[in-house]
Amino acid sequence: MKVQELMTTHVESIKPDLYLRAAARKMKELGVGALPVIDGDRVLGIITDRDLACFAIAMGHDLNSDPVSKVMTREVITCKADQDIDEAARIMIEHHIRRLLVLDNNKGVAGFFSLDDLVRGSRELAGAVLEAATPVH
Amino acid sequence: MKVQEVMTPKVETIAPSNTAKEAARKMHDLHIGSLPVVDGDQLVGIITDRDICVRVTATGRDATMTRVKEVMGKAVETCFEDQDINDAAKRMIDHHIRRLVVLNRDNGISGFLSVDNIASKSHELASSILEATIPIH
Repeated sequence: MKVQELMTTHVESIKPDLYLRAAARKMKELGVGALPVIDGDRVLGIITDRDLACFAIAMGHDLNSDPVSKVMTREVITCKADQDIDEAARIMIEHHIRRLLVLDNNKGVAGFFSLDDLVRGSRELAGAVLEAATPVH
Repeated sequence: MKVQEVMTPKVETIAPSNTAKEAARKMHDLHIGSLPVVDGDQLVGIITDRDICVRVTATGRDATMTRVKEVMGKAVETCFEDQDINDAAKRMIDHHIRRLVVLNRDNGISGFLSVDNIASKSHELASSILEATIPIH
């Protein structure tokens, strides 16, 4: 089974110069926990709800003037839309993560592939990813 | 198998009168995503990194003035340390959640049980929990 059969498409993105408060508001309104940070058509990073709590608040950033680029994660782990789900699962296991940004063949964002998508294709692979993931309690 | 054999023991807690910034700082430093909120020895709520993102970062509240009790979740699902993990998993499935606060029979907090802990013993059971919960991408 291919990643594109299970992944979440129509992923919204965010610009690196958006203020932290506006980024958090966007995540709240969309009901999502992660957004790719995109400048033009280049992927610069990923920002999560955790970044906007633990980094933005804990580190005392100015929410009305500091941009997303200050707290985003720059090292983005990706897979391709036409990859097999067991390869995608292996990437998650290697990196101890639960979500991959899916790129198309032009390196544009095609979607997100998360543990929640994976479980609909393989309960066994999803269990293995979860077991390998860094626990977040 | 009992909950206490797979749970994460020694859970850090926070008081309802602590500030949102203190909670964010603690989650950041400890690499965790949630804290049970304890008043004296009574469990009164739970606060997560997402709560801080959507209720503090997104809203314009001052994180140094906002109290944990203003932004925490008041409904906390629990299980007992001597319960069977199948019963605890069923509770997660019924409530569409991935995490329970574990209590001892004196109603003191003895740990956290998450879907991650369950995955270390049963991929099948963990996958059932994943499928029952509403994903946040």
